[in-house]
Amino acid sequence: MNNEELKAYIESHYGSQLTYNEAGKYDLLFEVDASNLVTVCEKLKNDSELLFDYFCNLSGADTTERFEAIYNLASTKKKIRLDIKVILPHENPVVNSVQTIWPAANWYEREMWELYGIHINNHDNLTRFLLHDEWDEGFPMRKDWDAPDFIRFPDL
Amino acid sequence: MGIIKKLPVYSEKIPGGGIVTTSVEQVLNFAQAKSLWYLLFGTACCAIELMCTGASRYDFDRLGMIFRASPRQADLIIAAGTITKKMAPRLRTLYDQMAEPRYVIAMGGCTIKGGPFYYDSYSVEKGIEHIIPVDVFIPGCPPRPESLLEGCITLQKQIQQRKLGDWQEK
Amino acid sequence: MSNLRTEEFDINMGPHHPSTHGVCRLLLTMDGEKVVKVVPYIGYLHRAIEKICENRTYAMCIPILDRFEYVTAMSCNYVFSLAAERLSGIEVPERAEYLRVIMLELNRIASHLIFFGTTAMDIGALTPFLYALREREYIMDLFEMTCGQRLTYNYIRVGGVSKDIPNEFTPKCRETVATISDKVEEYKRLLNGNPIWKMRTIGVGKLDADLALAYGVSGPILRASGVDYDLRRDDPYSIYDRFDYNIPIYQNGDVYDRYMIRLDEIQESCKIVAQALDQIEDGPIRAKVSPNFKPAAGETYTRIENSRGEMGVYLVSDGTKKPFRVKARGGSYPHLQLLPEIATNCMIADLVAIFASFDVILPEVDR
Repeated sequence: MNNEELKAYIESHYGSQLTYNEAGKYDLLFEVDASNLVTVCEKLKNDSELLFDYFCNLSGADTTERFEAIYNLASTKKKIRLDIKVILPHENPVVNSVQTIWPAANWYEREMWELYGIHINNHDNLTRFLLHDEWDEGFPMRKDWDAPDFIRFPDL
Repeated sequence: MGIIKKLPVYSEKIPGGGIVTTSVEQVLNFAQAKSLWYLLFGTACCAIELMCTGASRYDFDRLGMIFRASPRQADLIIAAGTITKKMAPRLRTLYDQMAEPRYVIAMGGCTIKGGPFYYDSYSVEKGIEHIIPVDVFIPGCPPRPESLLEGCITLQKQIQQRKLGDWQEK
Repeated sequence: MSNLRTEEFDINMGPHHPSTHGVCRLLLTMDGEKVVKVVPYIGYLHRAIEKICENRTYAMCIPILDRFEYVTAMSCNYVFSLAAERLSGIEVPERAEYLRVIMLELNRIASHLIFFGTTAMDIGALTPFLYALREREYIMDLFEMTCGQRLTYNYIRVGGVSKDIPNEFTPKCRETVATISDKVEEYKRLLNGNPIWKMRTIGVGKLDADLALAYGVSGPILRASGVDYDLRRDDPYSIYDRFDYNIPIYQNGDVYDRYMIRLDEIQESCKIVAQALDQIEDGPIRAKVSPNFKPAAGETYTRIENSRGEMGVYLVSDGTKKPFRVKARGGSYPHLQLLPEIATNCMIADLVAIFASFDVILPEVDR
């Protein structure tokens, strides 16, 4: 299945929940509502035409107006790739955990919580692990983050 | 005094052998300098170069340097790699566990002043000198094995020039 | 004796421990010699590479990402360059593609040699370490004559490579890959028949395919569990379709298979390098790219097959000269996450063997 066919398939079967986003280059990028995330992911994994059984990566992003969580999925059997983006508000960002679908997501979600402050619902172990134990300076990957001993690179 | 100054390096040349005259200071310094056992403390990229230096081609053993896994048996920490804020207390603990006299080589840019992670990094210690006292700095990112060998020879020279009083008070 | 009551106790392995290949801390709950529970703690090498990259130009990101996975720094260079090229649609000259493949495969060999040496050392055989590092030095010589560095290369740039190979590279490289291919046979003779080695590795740390896929395991570890998935073939990039090579698959998923598959991969990589040296032709080595180039706004997740599994970069460009977001995904991250699943209820000596066979590199986990 190439990208065109995959796009057509997803738009015909999941058109109500996934909207195409043209920012994605090379691979397809779809947007999903935070409330639908888990149900859609479950369907994508079990759909016999898609079989997204492989969780590549999860990354957060901060655009200063909103947060984004990007799930990169792949299928080892159908050899296809798909990206899913969830847009979250800048105040109180909350997203549901997908670790029941892909256990691999556990650490990625934990990392996103730690560095971006995006809260994960239904996560079994939301504790600090990248930063040191006494860290109390907030969420360092946010664009507006600052600290007294943080030295910025001179402007380019 | 000429003989005493050269001893114990030339001790085997004394005719007949058996009797060696030297000073305590020189024997101690010689023994220390030529058997610097280092702690296998590698955190990042420099650790790979440290491994290469210990392996076949560069052969650390010829300087009398053998790696030890336990700080209790080591004389020297080669701090190879970035030290983060999370790791810094552990480095201090390891240093405290070593027996006197102990030495530190800071290998690579990160241990000197943060290296490439000086700017924009919220979790890297900018140099290890405020955590533990450093004897020799080796610049590079990462330094070549030859640089590390030279750094160790420099440290050995430093040790051999020490006076007896120096390390009593340390 | 079997109903003797024993008491569980906690023991810290790491962050400073020679078998953790860096600074990983495992909190073990032990019952005698048996591991009851493993909890990995990471972050001792968290260097904020992603934060740093957000405030650099694309050209300046590459040397920073070198330190993301220093054992195969060429792959880090490559995956970032590839992502930037996909965003901006830069065409890479033919010769540069060949040079990239040669360097990537040489780097894969060097990485697997380190794996071979350190794994054997962790399990208790010191000699293979000296053998493996001896052969690795030949590859380091090749890198050094090309780009002047032994470990962090900054060689593969956006649009091509930084320098052409010198004239003496080709004969020396042919000789090196031929030597290494032979030496792998020697390694196999050294360890494979050894009864102690077999006892320590066969049947230890079994990982089945379903669990591996669920945890996002990739690369040689996934293929040692019987899943035929290699990104060089299944998510094609560069010019790997022009070479004739096999993808070794093993079925048992134990420490022994994970060790064997890497030795086989060294030989396959040697084949690819030899073929690339035959096919390479003269030509330009770099497309015209300004040092401050600005890719079009957009985002991509690019992944390649690294020696430790899938290495990926999620790159977002907002049309300025700095990347908006760089997320680096290393192959070791899910592998370390999986460790508690398969290391529970094994002996502590086997835990070391399992950890070694995963070939975890901590900067890739912590970034």
